[in-house]
Amino acid sequence: MSQLVQAEITDCREPAPGVWVTEFLAPSLAQAAMPGQFLHIRCGEGSDPLLRRPISIHSVDRLSGRMKIMFQVVGKGTAWLAGRRDGFLDIMGPLGRGFTVFTGEQASHNYNRFIVVGGGIGAAPLYFLLQEIARAGHAQRVKVLLGARNAHQLLIPDAAEELGFAVRVATDDGSAGHRGLVTDLLAEELQRKPDYVYACGPSPMLKVLCAMLNDAGVPGEVSVEERMACGVGACLSCVCRVKDANGMEIYRHACVDGPVFSAGEVIW
Amino acid sequence: MNMAVNLGGISMNNPVTTASGTFGFGLEYQPYVALQRLGAIIVKGTTLKPRLGNPPPRIAETPSGMLNAIGLQNPGVERVAEEIMPRLAALGVPVIVNIAGDTVEDYAQVARRLDSVPGVAGLEVNISCPNVKKGGIQFGSDPYTAAEVTRAVKASAGLPVIVKLSPNVTDLVTMAEAVAGAGADALSMINTLLGMAIDVDRRRPVLGNITGGLSGPAVRPVAVRAVWQVHRALPLLPILGMGGIMTARDALEFILAGATAVAVGTGNFVNPRATLDVVEGIEQYMIDHGFVDISELVGLAQRYPNKE
Ligand SMILES: Cc1cc2nc3c(=O)[nH]c(=O)nc-3n(C[C@H](O)[C@H](O)[C@H](O)COP(=O)(O)OP(=O)(O)OC[C@H]3O[C@@H](n4cnc5c(N)ncnc54)[C@H](O)[C@@H]3O)c2cc1C
Ligand SMILES: Cc1cc2nc3c(=O)[nH]c(=O)nc-3n(C[C@H](O)[C@H](O)[C@H](O)COP(=O)(O)O)c2cc1C
Ligand code: FES
Repeated sequence: MSQLVQAEITDCREPAPGVWVTEFLAPSLAQAAMPGQFLHIRCGEGSDPLLRRPISIHSVDRLSGRMKIMFQVVGKGTAWLAGRRDGFLDIMGPLGRGFTVFTGEQASHNYNRFIVVGGGIGAAPLYFLLQEIARAGHAQRVKVLLGARNAHQLLIPDAAEELGFAVRVATDDGSAGHRGLVTDLLAEELQRKPDYVYACGPSPMLKVLCAMLNDAGVPGEVSVEERMACGVGACLSCVCRVKDANGMEIYRHACVDGPVFSAGEVIW
Repeated sequence: MNMAVNLGGISMNNPVTTASGTFGFGLEYQPYVALQRLGAIIVKGTTLKPRLGNPPPRIAETPSGMLNAIGLQNPGVERVAEEIMPRLAALGVPVIVNIAGDTVEDYAQVARRLDSVPGVAGLEVNISCPNVKKGGIQFGSDPYTAAEVTRAVKASAGLPVIVKLSPNVTDLVTMAEAVAGAGADALSMINTLLGMAIDVDRRRPVLGNITGGLSGPAVRPVAVRAVWQVHRALPLLPILGMGGIMTARDALEFILAGATAVAVGTGNFVNPRATLDVVEGIEQYMIDHGFVDISELVGLAQRYPNKE
């Protein structure tokens, strides 16, 4: 069940230009959190900025109760957040429905080979997913594909390797790995018929990716972004167009029905 | 100390409720708020048929406020009556259903359907939604049609009827008098102010619907003024005040201006416990200043008017 907590900031760093990782102590959130879920964070004390900002959970250490968020500074709220070196964060969470993590029998039989695709800041929630997959002992079955503008903007490749994952990278300018899009790498990997794909990244990337999965007949899940006010399903602001079981177009709410949706259901 | 109030026939244990559309159907905030402690719960705008609402993006943040263009997304009165009300009725808190329609007959039909549903303590008639093409604000900007809607709802249900007014009119007092004359048991004010934001980098409107309703602290002075003016003109008609309430002090402004009860809207998004903080803060204020009954505070600031 989601909670409202005051979490003490324990660390703050800038791993890439304009991208920040803030660590805080929140034992009860850490216990409840699942990969792909997000936190709704008050960014500022006054009324401007007014609304909370949704930020995915980047990593969790359940033993110490420490959690991290990784975020890009794009406006007022995230700029305020990046300026926090100590003190407390006002956090609602964990919110939303995250990624399906396959364990036990299911992981061994039906879903054997996974691909995790991150574009830009979209890598942020995927690290928590990788932590959980590694914990379940399935790191060798997963290929991680990461894309960014340039080598400096590449997030989490080393951390993913440390967890035991095979990582391939793509950069727009070729300063690291493949020159081009991360979806180029995905096209290659899809030839080898993976069983399941997880992805998070900018909408144009997810749109292409969903079409590719659809063509290849490979199931998967994507984490989408919508503008949110309440984060709990009360304001109906964060609508995402999806197909229901009968193929009918309906709106669903990214904050409670998502942010992770199955790749086949999102209408781009 | 007595915090109980009567809002046009609806008995509330305290004067704090939730603004329609900001608290879903009540249950969404259950992890954060002991719902039994609210004076009442006002739920999302309900229409005769289910409504999909407007295309995204549906919200934009503005200085100390937000714009929304949800467009009355709701599952329709039938599902509200059959599926949602039974769960809310079990809470034992008065539930006020906000209703909307495209035609006067729509309002009447929704009211009729809700009339005998257990748990419904009253109807809040939304004639002021700025985000739908038909109905909504169109009914709320003409005193004649506003009165017609009010009369139709009164005739269709035995429930207390609160009419929710729009601030987007030149003469709010005339509107208030019109719906009061048509039988409104109370007034709700204010609904959102029509507004708009433009994305300068992309050189186009931010909202999918282009315009939206402004709410939050930015609108509070407008709302307090509206309550003040209408309470002055119609001192006996109970008012539910809302618009930018985040704290007990904000709520007290409305009560001192003449509101019998208050609703927290956008404030819930910022602080999910805002409603309870307001209840507790008003209690503390009454203790600190030696008031024993909340009614002593209603309209108290009107006794010391500035020069007019
Ligand atoms: C479920 C979810 C999880 C998210 N997780 C992360 C994360 O882990 N790391 C991260 O860096 N960002 C994440 N985001 C995006 C993040 O919420 C926005 O970047 C942030 O709200 C912007 O706030 P701001 O005040 O800095 O910018 P604002 O001043 O509000 O806006 C600046 C610009 O940012 C864009 N923007 C605003 N809100 C959003 C939004 N909700 N989604 C996308 N773009 C937006 C707009 O184009 C705007 O022009 C997530 C969003 C969602 C919905
Ligand atoms: C997201 C959102 C949805 C709303 N939906 C409704 C609605 O369905 N019916 C209605 O009468 N008012 C609706 N309103 C208006 C509020 O009930 C309230 O009148 C207004 O927001 C001012 O109060 P606030 O500043 O505290 O939010 C909505 C407001 C918001 C922000
Ligand atoms: S953010 Fe309010 S419903 Fe999703």
